[in-house]
Amino acid sequence: MLHEVLLVARKDLRVEWRSKVTIGQVAPLALLVLVVFAFAFDANARLLGLGAGGLFWVAVLFGGTLLIQRAFDLETDDGNFDAFRMSTIGAPSLFLGKSLGVFIQVVLLELVLGPGVVLLYDVRIDDWFLLLAAALAGTVAFSVCGVLWGVMAAGVRVRATLLPLLLIPVLAPVLLAGSRAFETAFGVRAEAGWTWASVMFVIAAVHTAIGVGTFGFLLEEG
Amino acid sequence: MSDIAAVATGWGLTFVVVATYALWVVGRGKTIGRELGIGKRQVLGPGSDSSTPASS
Amino acid sequence: MSQIPDSKHMTATLGTRILGSVAVAAVLLMTLLGLVVSPEDLVQGHAVRMLYLHVPSIWIAYAAFVLTAASSVLFLIRSRSRADGGRHHDRLAGSAAEVGVLFAGITLVTGMLWGRVTWGTYWQWDARLTTTVLLFVTYLGYLALRRLPADPIVRGRRSAVMALISFVNVPIVHFSVDWWRTLHQKASLSVGRRPEITGEMYWTLLYSTLTVTVVASWLIVHRYRVIRLEELRDEEALNALIASRLREDDVGN
Repeated sequence: MLHEVLLVARKDLRVEWRSKVTIGQVAPLALLVLVVFAFAFDANARLLGLGAGGLFWVAVLFGGTLLIQRAFDLETDDGNFDAFRMSTIGAPSLFLGKSLGVFIQVVLLELVLGPGVVLLYDVRIDDWFLLLAAALAGTVAFSVCGVLWGVMAAGVRVRATLLPLLLIPVLAPVLLAGSRAFETAFGVRAEAGWTWASVMFVIAAVHTAIGVGTFGFLLEEG
Repeated sequence: MSDIAAVATGWGLTFVVVATYALWVVGRGKTIGRELGIGKRQVLGPGSDSSTPASS
Repeated sequence: MSQIPDSKHMTATLGTRILGSVAVAAVLLMTLLGLVVSPEDLVQGHAVRMLYLHVPSIWIAYAAFVLTAASSVLFLIRSRSRADGGRHHDRLAGSAAEVGVLFAGITLVTGMLWGRVTWGTYWQWDARLTTTVLLFVTYLGYLALRRLPADPIVRGRRSAVMALISFVNVPIVHFSVDWWRTLHQKASLSVGRRPEITGEMYWTLLYSTLTVTVVASWLIVHRYRVIRLEELRDEEALNALIASRLREDDVGN
Protein backbone atom coordinates (compact mmCIF):
# COMPACT_ATOMS: atom_id res chain seq x y z
CA MET A 1 0.00 0.00 0.00
CA LEU A 2 2.77 2.45 0.88
CA HIS A 3 4.27 1.67 -2.47
CA GLU A 4 1.01 2.60 -4.22
CA VAL A 5 0.67 5.80 -2.22
CA LEU A 6 4.16 6.87 -3.18
CA LEU A 7 3.54 5.93 -6.79
CA VAL A 8 0.47 8.20 -7.04
CA ALA A 9 2.20 11.05 -5.20
CA ARG A 10 5.33 10.74 -7.34
CA LYS A 11 3.25 10.91 -10.52
CA ASP A 12 1.62 14.17 -9.39
CA LEU A 13 4.87 15.70 -8.27
CA ARG A 14 6.59 14.76 -11.51
CA VAL A 15 3.84 16.50 -13.47
CA GLU A 16 4.23 19.50 -11.19
CA TRP A 17 7.99 19.47 -11.54
CA ARG A 18 7.71 19.63 -15.31
CA SER A 19 5.13 22.43 -15.39
CA LYS A 20 6.37 24.35 -12.29
CA VAL A 21 2.97 25.89 -11.72
CA THR A 22 3.27 25.88 -7.92
CA ILE A 23 6.55 27.69 -7.79
CA GLY A 24 6.06 29.73 -10.93
CA GLN A 25 2.49 30.94 -10.50
CA VAL A 26 0.77 29.99 -7.26
CA ALA A 27 3.55 31.03 -4.87
CA PRO A 28 3.99 34.48 -6.46
CA LEU A 29 0.22 34.94 -6.36
CA ALA A 30 0.14 34.07 -2.65
CA LEU A 31 2.96 36.56 -2.01
CA LEU A 32 0.89 39.14 -3.83
CA VAL A 33 -1.96 38.39 -1.43
CA LEU A 34 0.39 39.21 1.46
CA VAL A 35 1.14 42.57 -0.15
CA VAL A 36 -2.55 43.28 -0.71
CA PHE A 37 -3.26 42.61 2.98
CA ALA A 38 -0.85 45.42 3.79
CA PHE A 39 -2.97 47.73 1.64
CA ALA A 40 -6.10 46.62 3.50
CA PHE A 41 -4.48 47.35 6.86
CA ASP A 42 -3.00 50.63 5.66
CA ALA A 43 0.49 49.19 6.17
CA ASN A 44 -0.04 49.45 9.91
CA ALA A 45 2.89 47.41 11.21
CA ARG A 46 1.27 46.73 14.56
CA LEU A 47 -1.98 45.40 13.06
CA LEU A 48 -0.11 43.33 10.51
CA GLY A 49 2.05 41.84 13.25
CA LEU A 50 -1.01 40.94 15.30
CA GLY A 51 -2.80 39.44 12.32
CA ALA A 52 0.21 37.76 10.73
CA GLY A 53 -0.78 34.25 11.87
CA GLY A 54 -4.24 34.52 10.37
CA LEU A 55 -3.07 36.23 7.20
CA PHE A 56 -0.58 33.42 6.60
CA TRP A 57 -3.35 30.82 6.71
CA VAL A 58 -5.69 32.85 4.52
CA ALA A 59 -2.94 33.11 1.91
CA VAL A 60 -2.34 29.35 2.17
CA LEU A 61 -6.06 28.77 1.71
CA PHE A 62 -6.20 30.82 -1.48
CA GLY A 63 -3.05 29.41 -2.97
CA GLY A 64 -3.83 25.88 -1.88
CA THR A 65 -7.30 25.95 -3.43
CA LEU A 66 -5.71 26.74 -6.77
CA LEU A 67 -3.27 23.87 -6.34
CA ILE A 68 -6.05 21.41 -5.63
CA GLN A 69 -8.03 22.65 -8.59
CA ARG A 70 -5.03 21.99 -10.76
CA ALA A 71 -4.26 18.60 -9.24
CA PHE A 72 -7.68 17.38 -10.36
CA ASP A 73 -7.86 19.18 -13.68
CA LEU A 74 -4.81 17.17 -14.66
CA GLU A 75 -6.63 13.94 -13.93
CA THR A 76 -9.94 14.76 -15.59
CA ASP A 77 -8.43 16.36 -18.71
CA ASP A 78 -6.76 13.13 -19.63
CA GLY A 79 -9.49 10.84 -18.35
CA ASN A 80 -7.10 9.49 -15.75
CA PHE A 81 -9.86 8.51 -13.33
CA ASP A 82 -10.95 5.81 -15.72
CA ALA A 83 -7.38 4.56 -15.72
CA PHE A 84 -7.35 4.56 -11.92
CA ARG A 85 -10.59 2.60 -11.81
CA MET A 86 -9.08 0.02 -14.13
CA SER A 87 -5.83 -0.19 -12.23
CA THR A 88 -5.26 -2.26 -9.15
CA ILE A 89 -4.54 0.75 -6.97
CA GLY A 90 -7.16 0.85 -4.21
CA ALA A 91 -9.22 3.93 -3.43
CA PRO A 92 -7.57 4.50 -0.02
CA SER A 93 -4.10 4.40 -1.59
CA LEU A 94 -5.21 6.75 -4.32
CA PHE A 95 -6.66 9.11 -1.73
CA LEU A 96 -3.52 9.10 0.41
CA GLY A 97 -1.31 9.42 -2.64
CA LYS A 98 -3.17 12.43 -3.99
CA SER A 99 -3.16 13.93 -0.49
CA LEU A 100 0.58 13.42 -0.17
CA GLY A 101 1.13 15.09 -3.53
CA VAL A 102 -0.98 18.08 -2.54
CA PHE A 103 0.67 18.14 0.90
CA ILE A 104 4.15 18.48 -0.56
CA GLN A 105 3.06 21.23 -2.92
CA VAL A 106 1.34 23.15 -0.11
CA VAL A 107 4.50 22.78 1.98
CA LEU A 108 6.43 24.35 -0.89
CA LEU A 109 3.91 27.17 -0.96
CA GLU A 110 4.30 27.66 2.80
CA LEU A 111 8.07 27.72 2.48
CA VAL A 112 7.64 30.77 0.27
CA LEU A 113 4.86 32.36 2.31
CA GLY A 114 6.49 31.84 5.72
CA PRO A 115 9.55 33.99 5.07
CA GLY A 116 7.25 36.42 3.27
CA VAL A 117 5.17 36.89 6.41
CA VAL A 118 8.25 37.15 8.63
CA LEU A 119 9.93 39.76 6.44
CA LEU A 120 6.95 41.82 5.31
CA TYR A 121 5.02 41.88 8.58
CA ASP A 122 8.05 42.13 10.85
CA VAL A 123 7.28 38.99 12.82
CA ARG A 124 9.69 37.23 15.18
CA ILE A 125 9.25 33.59 16.02
CA ASP A 126 9.18 32.70 19.71
CA ASP A 127 8.28 29.05 19.54
CA TRP A 128 9.64 27.17 16.53
CA PHE A 129 8.41 23.83 17.72
CA LEU A 130 4.80 25.01 18.05
CA LEU A 131 5.03 26.75 14.69
CA LEU A 132 6.18 23.62 12.90
CA ALA A 133 3.69 21.35 14.67
CA ALA A 134 0.77 23.66 13.83
CA ALA A 135 1.95 24.04 10.24
CA LEU A 136 2.22 20.27 9.87
CA ALA A 137 -1.24 19.57 11.30
CA GLY A 138 -2.88 22.38 9.37
CA THR A 139 -1.29 21.34 6.10
CA VAL A 140 -2.33 17.72 6.53
CA ALA A 141 -5.91 18.79 7.28
CA PHE A 142 -5.89 21.12 4.31
CA SER A 143 -4.55 18.49 1.94
CA VAL A 144 -6.97 15.71 2.85
CA CYS A 145 -10.02 18.01 2.80
CA GLY A 146 -8.82 19.50 -0.44
CA VAL A 147 -8.49 16.11 -2.09
CA LEU A 148 -11.93 15.01 -0.89
CA TRP A 149 -13.65 18.12 -2.20
CA GLY A 150 -11.38 18.26 -5.23
CA VAL A 151 -12.53 14.87 -6.46
CA MET A 152 -16.16 15.86 -5.94
CA ALA A 153 -15.79 19.03 -7.96
CA ALA A 154 -13.55 17.35 -10.54
CA GLY A 155 -14.78 17.35 -14.09
CA VAL A 156 -17.76 19.62 -13.62
CA ARG A 157 -17.94 22.88 -15.50
CA VAL A 158 -18.48 25.07 -12.46
CA ARG A 159 -15.61 23.59 -10.43
CA ALA A 160 -13.65 26.82 -10.19
CA THR A 161 -16.42 28.46 -8.21
CA LEU A 162 -17.74 25.34 -6.51
CA LEU A 163 -14.52 24.15 -4.92
CA PRO A 164 -13.87 27.20 -2.70
CA LEU A 165 -17.53 27.28 -1.68
CA LEU A 166 -17.31 23.68 -0.47
CA LEU A 167 -13.81 23.91 0.93
CA ILE A 168 -13.82 27.09 3.00
CA PRO A 169 -16.63 26.25 5.44
CA VAL A 170 -15.15 22.84 6.19
CA LEU A 171 -11.70 24.37 6.67
CA ALA A 172 -12.97 27.18 8.89
CA PRO A 173 -11.91 25.41 12.11
CA VAL A 174 -8.44 24.79 10.65
CA LEU A 175 -8.16 28.43 9.73
CA LEU A 176 -9.25 29.47 13.19
CA ALA A 177 -7.00 27.05 15.04
CA GLY A 178 -4.02 27.72 12.77
CA SER A 179 -4.32 31.45 13.19
CA ARG A 180 -4.44 31.22 16.99
CA ALA A 181 -1.58 28.72 17.20
CA PHE A 182 0.63 30.86 14.96
CA GLU A 183 -0.16 33.94 17.00
CA THR A 184 1.13 32.14 20.08
CA ALA A 185 4.20 30.98 18.17
CA PHE A 186 4.80 34.59 17.07
CA GLY A 187 4.48 35.71 20.69
CA VAL A 188 1.53 38.05 20.15
CA ARG A 189 -0.88 35.90 22.10
CA ALA A 190 0.08 34.39 25.39
CA GLU A 191 -1.76 31.17 25.90
CA ALA A 192 -3.28 28.10 24.38
CA GLY A 193 -1.13 27.65 21.29
CA TRP A 194 -0.75 23.95 21.94
CA THR A 195 -4.47 23.50 22.56
CA TRP A 196 -5.07 24.87 19.09
CA ALA A 197 -2.35 22.76 17.57
CA SER A 198 -3.94 19.65 19.06
CA VAL A 199 -7.34 20.70 17.71
CA MET A 200 -5.72 20.77 14.29
CA PHE A 201 -4.24 17.32 14.74
CA VAL A 202 -7.68 15.98 15.65
CA ILE A 203 -9.26 17.62 12.60
CA ALA A 204 -6.53 16.22 10.37
CA ALA A 205 -7.04 12.71 11.78
CA VAL A 206 -10.83 12.82 11.44
CA HIS A 207 -10.75 13.94 7.83
CA THR A 208 -8.05 11.47 6.89
CA ALA A 209 -10.20 8.69 8.31
CA ILE A 210 -13.30 9.92 6.44
CA GLY A 211 -11.32 10.18 3.22
CA VAL A 212 -9.90 6.69 3.47
CA GLY A 213 -13.37 5.36 4.24
CA THR A 214 -15.38 7.16 1.57
CA PHE A 215 -13.04 7.84 -1.34
CA GLY A 216 -14.15 4.63 -3.00
CA PHE A 217 -17.73 5.90 -3.23
CA LEU A 218 -16.55 9.04 -4.98
CA LEU A 219 -14.59 7.22 -7.65
CA GLU A 220 -17.19 4.67 -8.64
CA GLU A 221 -19.27 5.13 -11.71
CA GLY A 222 -23.02 4.80 -11.23
CA MET B 1 -35.11 49.90 15.59
CA SER B 2 -37.94 49.56 18.08
CA ASP B 3 -38.70 46.12 19.42
CA ILE B 4 -42.15 46.06 17.80
CA ALA B 5 -40.69 46.93 14.40
CA ALA B 6 -38.07 44.22 14.80
CA VAL B 7 -40.65 41.60 15.74
CA ALA B 8 -42.90 42.61 12.85
CA THR B 9 -39.98 42.43 10.41
CA GLY B 10 -38.87 39.03 11.72
CA TRP B 11 -42.29 37.42 11.66
CA GLY B 12 -43.20 39.03 8.35
CA LEU B 13 -40.01 37.93 6.63
CA THR B 14 -40.35 34.40 8.00
CA PHE B 15 -43.91 34.05 6.77
CA VAL B 16 -43.11 35.45 3.36
CA VAL B 17 -40.05 33.20 2.92
CA VAL B 18 -41.77 30.00 4.04
CA ALA B 19 -44.92 30.75 2.03
CA THR B 20 -42.91 31.53 -1.09
CA TYR B 21 -40.98 28.31 -0.72
CA ALA B 22 -44.15 26.27 -0.19
CA LEU B 23 -45.80 27.84 -3.23
CA TRP B 24 -42.69 27.23 -5.29
CA VAL B 25 -42.58 23.57 -4.32
CA VAL B 26 -46.26 23.01 -5.07
CA GLY B 27 -46.09 24.99 -8.31
CA ARG B 28 -43.05 23.09 -9.49
CA GLY B 29 -44.77 19.81 -8.70
CA LYS B 30 -47.76 20.87 -10.77
CA THR B 31 -45.68 22.06 -13.70
CA ILE B 32 -43.66 18.89 -13.91
CA GLY B 33 -46.73 16.75 -13.35
CA ARG B 34 -48.40 18.47 -16.29
CA GLU B 35 -45.32 17.97 -18.46
CA LEU B 36 -45.43 14.30 -17.65
CA GLY B 37 -49.14 14.21 -18.35
CA ILE B 38 -50.08 12.80 -14.99
CA GLY B 39 -52.35 14.04 -12.26
CA LYS B 40 -55.21 15.09 -14.55
CA ARG B 41 -57.56 15.22 -11.64
CA GLN B 42 -57.43 18.17 -9.32
CA VAL B 43 -55.40 17.08 -6.38
CA LEU B 44 -53.86 20.12 -4.84
CA GLY B 45 -56.35 22.36 -3.15
CA PRO B 46 -54.49 25.64 -3.06
CA GLY B 47 -56.70 26.74 -0.22
CA SER B 48 -55.40 24.02 2.06
CA ASP B 49 -51.92 22.88 1.24
CA SER B 50 -50.16 25.60 -0.60
CA SER B 51 -51.14 28.46 1.63
CA THR B 52 -49.93 26.66 4.75
CA PRO B 53 -47.59 29.09 6.35
CA ALA B 54 -48.96 32.24 4.77
CA SER B 55 -51.94 32.38 6.99
CA SER B 56 -51.21 35.37 9.12
CA MET C 1 -35.94 1.05 -14.32
CA SER C 2 -38.59 3.02 -12.56
CA GLN C 3 -42.12 2.19 -11.80
CA ILE C 4 -44.45 5.12 -11.32
CA PRO C 5 -45.84 4.60 -7.87
CA ASP C 6 -48.01 7.42 -6.62
CA SER C 7 -47.38 9.93 -9.34
CA LYS C 8 -51.10 10.13 -10.10
CA HIS C 9 -51.43 12.12 -6.96
CA MET C 10 -48.83 14.63 -8.03
CA THR C 11 -47.54 16.05 -4.78
CA ALA C 12 -50.60 15.87 -2.55
CA THR C 13 -52.19 12.90 -0.89
CA LEU C 14 -54.98 12.72 1.63
CA GLY C 15 -52.39 12.40 4.39
CA THR C 16 -50.43 15.47 3.42
CA ARG C 17 -53.57 17.45 2.81
CA ILE C 18 -54.60 16.77 6.37
CA LEU C 19 -51.07 17.61 7.49
CA GLY C 20 -51.26 20.85 5.49
CA SER C 21 -54.58 21.84 7.01
CA VAL C 22 -53.30 21.10 10.49
CA ALA C 23 -50.25 23.21 9.73
CA VAL C 24 -52.37 26.18 8.60
CA ALA C 25 -54.51 26.03 11.71
CA ALA C 26 -51.50 25.57 13.95
CA VAL C 27 -49.71 28.54 12.41
CA LEU C 28 -52.78 30.73 12.97
CA LEU C 29 -52.89 29.77 16.62
CA MET C 30 -49.11 30.19 16.92
CA THR C 31 -49.38 33.73 15.56
CA LEU C 32 -52.11 34.52 18.03
CA LEU C 33 -50.22 33.02 20.98
CA GLY C 34 -46.86 34.45 20.02
CA LEU C 35 -47.88 37.96 19.08
CA VAL C 36 -50.98 38.65 21.18
CA VAL C 37 -51.62 36.26 24.05
CA SER C 38 -48.16 35.71 25.50
CA PRO C 39 -46.87 38.52 27.69
CA GLU C 40 -43.93 40.85 27.17
CA ASP C 41 -40.71 39.89 28.82
CA LEU C 42 -39.59 42.02 31.76
CA VAL C 43 -36.10 42.43 30.36
CA GLN C 44 -36.50 41.98 26.63
CA GLY C 45 -39.92 43.52 26.10
CA HIS C 46 -41.56 42.58 22.82
CA ALA C 47 -38.30 41.25 21.44
CA VAL C 48 -38.94 37.98 23.26
CA ARG C 49 -41.58 37.23 20.62
CA MET C 50 -38.79 36.74 18.12
CA LEU C 51 -37.65 33.69 20.03
CA TYR C 52 -40.90 31.87 19.20
CA LEU C 53 -39.63 31.73 15.63
CA HIS C 54 -35.89 31.75 16.28
CA VAL C 55 -35.66 28.77 18.63
CA PRO C 56 -37.99 26.44 16.67
CA SER C 57 -36.16 27.35 13.45
CA ILE C 58 -32.76 26.32 14.72
CA TRP C 59 -34.26 23.12 16.12
CA ILE C 60 -35.74 22.34 12.69
CA ALA C 61 -32.49 23.20 10.94
CA TYR C 62 -30.50 20.83 13.15
CA ALA C 63 -33.15 18.11 12.93
CA ALA C 64 -33.21 18.41 9.15
CA PHE C 65 -29.42 18.17 8.94
CA VAL C 66 -29.48 15.09 11.15
CA LEU C 67 -32.07 13.60 8.80
CA THR C 68 -29.86 14.48 5.83
CA ALA C 69 -26.85 12.81 7.41
CA ALA C 70 -28.76 9.68 8.44
CA SER C 71 -30.35 9.31 5.00
CA SER C 72 -26.98 9.83 3.36
CA VAL C 73 -25.41 7.04 5.40
CA LEU C 74 -28.27 4.70 4.50
CA PHE C 75 -27.90 5.69 0.87
CA LEU C 76 -24.19 4.89 0.87
CA ILE C 77 -24.86 1.53 2.50
CA ARG C 78 -27.70 0.59 0.17
CA SER C 79 -26.70 2.16 -3.11
CA ARG C 80 -24.75 -0.95 -4.00
CA SER C 81 -27.26 -3.59 -3.01
CA ARG C 82 -30.63 -2.15 -3.98
CA ALA C 83 -32.04 -2.27 -7.49
CA ASP C 84 -33.08 1.38 -7.44
CA GLY C 85 -29.78 2.34 -5.84
CA GLY C 86 -31.46 3.39 -2.61
CA ARG C 87 -32.51 6.64 -4.21
CA HIS C 88 -35.30 7.03 -1.72
CA HIS C 89 -32.69 8.00 0.84
CA ASP C 90 -31.00 10.37 -1.54
CA ARG C 91 -34.27 12.20 -2.18
CA LEU C 92 -34.98 12.40 1.52
CA ALA C 93 -31.49 13.80 2.17
CA GLY C 94 -31.95 16.43 -0.52
CA SER C 95 -35.36 17.62 0.57
CA ALA C 96 -34.40 17.72 4.25
CA ALA C 97 -31.24 19.70 3.50
CA GLU C 98 -33.16 22.28 1.51
CA VAL C 99 -35.71 22.79 4.27
CA GLY C 100 -32.85 22.88 6.80
CA VAL C 101 -31.12 25.66 4.88
CA LEU C 102 -34.38 27.58 4.72
CA PHE C 103 -34.82 27.42 8.48
CA ALA C 104 -31.16 28.09 9.21
CA GLY C 105 -31.60 31.29 7.18
CA ILE C 106 -34.68 32.19 9.20
CA THR C 107 -32.72 31.51 12.39
CA LEU C 108 -30.01 33.93 11.30
CA VAL C 109 -32.39 36.71 10.29
CA THR C 110 -34.59 36.48 13.37
CA GLY C 111 -31.49 36.17 15.56
CA MET C 112 -29.92 39.28 14.07
CA LEU C 113 -33.10 41.29 14.53
CA TRP C 114 -33.36 40.03 18.10
CA GLY C 115 -29.73 41.01 18.67
CA ARG C 116 -30.28 44.48 17.25
CA VAL C 117 -32.95 45.14 19.86
CA THR C 118 -31.37 43.32 22.79
CA TRP C 119 -27.64 43.85 22.30
CA GLY C 120 -27.85 46.94 20.14
CA THR C 121 -26.00 45.27 17.29
CA TYR C 122 -26.97 42.86 14.56
CA TRP C 123 -23.95 40.68 14.91
CA GLN C 124 -21.75 39.37 17.71
CA TRP C 125 -18.91 36.94 17.11
CA ASP C 126 -20.60 34.63 19.49
CA ALA C 127 -20.01 30.89 19.25
CA ARG C 128 -23.57 30.04 18.36
CA LEU C 129 -23.98 32.71 15.73
CA THR C 130 -20.68 31.87 14.08
CA THR C 131 -21.45 28.16 14.09
CA THR C 132 -24.88 28.77 12.59
CA VAL C 133 -23.59 30.94 9.78
CA LEU C 134 -20.92 28.36 8.91
CA LEU C 135 -23.55 25.62 8.96
CA PHE C 136 -25.78 27.70 6.69
CA VAL C 137 -23.01 28.20 4.13
CA THR C 138 -21.92 24.56 4.33
CA TYR C 139 -25.36 23.30 3.43
CA LEU C 140 -25.75 25.95 0.73
CA GLY C 141 -22.67 24.31 -0.77
CA TYR C 142 -24.29 20.91 -0.35
CA LEU C 143 -27.32 22.11 -2.31
CA ALA C 144 -25.04 23.53 -5.00
CA LEU C 145 -23.35 20.14 -5.28
CA ARG C 146 -26.72 18.43 -5.62
CA ARG C 147 -27.70 20.72 -8.47
CA LEU C 148 -24.75 19.70 -10.62
CA PRO C 149 -25.72 17.73 -13.66
CA ALA C 150 -24.43 14.17 -13.25
CA ASP C 151 -25.57 10.61 -13.27
CA PRO C 152 -28.11 10.37 -10.41
CA ILE C 153 -26.24 7.63 -8.55
CA VAL C 154 -22.86 9.37 -8.91
CA ARG C 155 -24.37 12.64 -7.79
CA GLY C 156 -26.12 10.88 -4.93
CA ARG C 157 -22.84 9.35 -3.73
CA ARG C 158 -21.00 12.67 -3.90
CA SER C 159 -23.75 14.46 -2.02
CA ALA C 160 -23.97 11.70 0.56
CA VAL C 161 -20.24 11.88 1.31
CA MET C 162 -20.44 15.64 1.56
CA ALA C 163 -23.44 15.43 3.90
CA LEU C 164 -21.51 12.99 6.06
CA ILE C 165 -18.42 15.20 6.27
CA SER C 166 -20.50 18.31 6.91
CA PHE C 167 -22.26 16.56 9.74
CA VAL C 168 -19.07 15.26 11.34
CA ASN C 169 -17.81 18.80 11.06
CA VAL C 170 -20.65 20.36 13.05
CA PRO C 171 -19.23 19.52 16.50
CA ILE C 172 -15.70 20.39 15.34
CA VAL C 173 -16.85 23.79 14.15
CA HIS C 174 -18.91 24.33 17.25
CA PHE C 175 -16.18 23.46 19.73
CA SER C 176 -13.43 25.35 17.96
CA VAL C 177 -15.56 28.47 17.65
CA ASP C 178 -16.63 28.08 21.26
CA TRP C 179 -13.01 27.82 22.45
CA TRP C 180 -12.11 30.74 20.26
CA ARG C 181 -14.65 32.95 22.00
CA THR C 182 -14.07 31.74 25.55
CA LEU C 183 -10.41 30.85 25.74
CA HIS C 184 -8.91 34.25 25.07
CA GLN C 185 -11.22 37.06 25.92
CA LYS C 186 -14.13 37.51 28.21
CA ALA C 187 -17.25 38.43 26.31
CA SER C 188 -18.22 42.00 27.06
CA LEU C 189 -21.88 41.17 26.87
CA SER C 190 -23.32 38.01 28.30
CA VAL C 191 -24.06 37.02 24.76
CA GLY C 192 -25.79 33.75 24.15
CA ARG C 193 -27.25 33.53 27.60
CA ARG C 194 -30.93 34.11 27.15
CA PRO C 195 -33.16 35.03 30.04
CA GLU C 196 -35.09 32.33 31.81
CA ILE C 197 -38.26 31.52 29.99
CA THR C 198 -41.11 30.33 32.15
CA GLY C 199 -44.88 30.11 32.34
CA GLU C 200 -46.86 31.28 29.32
CA MET C 201 -43.70 32.04 27.41
CA TYR C 202 -42.48 28.51 27.95
CA TRP C 203 -45.71 26.99 26.68
CA THR C 204 -45.82 29.32 23.70
CA LEU C 205 -42.29 28.35 22.81
CA LEU C 206 -43.08 24.67 23.13
CA TYR C 207 -46.22 25.05 21.04
CA SER C 208 -44.49 27.03 18.30
CA THR C 209 -41.73 24.42 18.15
CA LEU C 210 -44.38 21.79 17.51
CA THR C 211 -46.06 23.96 14.89
CA VAL C 212 -42.86 24.71 13.00
CA THR C 213 -42.09 20.99 13.05
CA VAL C 214 -45.42 20.24 11.38
CA VAL C 215 -44.84 22.93 8.76
CA ALA C 216 -41.33 21.64 8.08
CA SER C 217 -42.55 18.04 7.75
CA TRP C 218 -45.12 19.15 5.21
CA LEU C 219 -42.44 20.99 3.26
CA ILE C 220 -40.05 18.02 3.34
CA VAL C 221 -42.70 15.55 2.17
CA HIS C 222 -43.72 17.75 -0.73
CA ARG C 223 -40.18 18.58 -1.71
CA TYR C 224 -39.43 14.86 -1.70
CA ARG C 225 -42.29 14.23 -4.10
CA VAL C 226 -41.19 17.04 -6.38
CA ILE C 227 -37.67 15.61 -6.51
CA ARG C 228 -39.26 12.28 -7.47
CA LEU C 229 -41.18 14.03 -10.25
CA GLU C 230 -38.01 15.76 -11.44
CA GLU C 231 -36.31 12.39 -11.67
CA LEU C 232 -39.23 10.92 -13.60
CA ARG C 233 -39.11 13.83 -16.00
CA ASP C 234 -35.38 13.41 -16.55
CA GLU C 235 -35.79 9.69 -17.16
CA GLU C 236 -38.62 10.32 -19.58
CA ALA C 237 -36.56 12.88 -21.47
CA LEU C 238 -33.71 10.40 -21.66
CA ASN C 239 -35.97 7.62 -22.90
CA ALA C 240 -37.47 9.92 -25.52
CA LEU C 241 -33.99 10.85 -26.69
CA ILE C 242 -32.93 7.22 -26.93
CA ALA C 243 -36.13 6.35 -28.79
CA SER C 244 -35.61 9.14 -31.31
CA ARG C 245 -32.00 8.07 -31.87
CA LEU C 246 -33.12 4.50 -32.48
CA ARG C 247 -35.71 5.72 -34.97
CA GLU C 248 -33.05 7.74 -36.78
CA ASP C 249 -30.93 4.63 -36.96
CA ASP C 250 -33.84 2.68 -38.43
CA VAL C 251 -34.39 5.33 -41.08
CA GLY C 252 -30.69 5.37 -41.82
CA ASN C 253 -30.66 1.66 -42.40
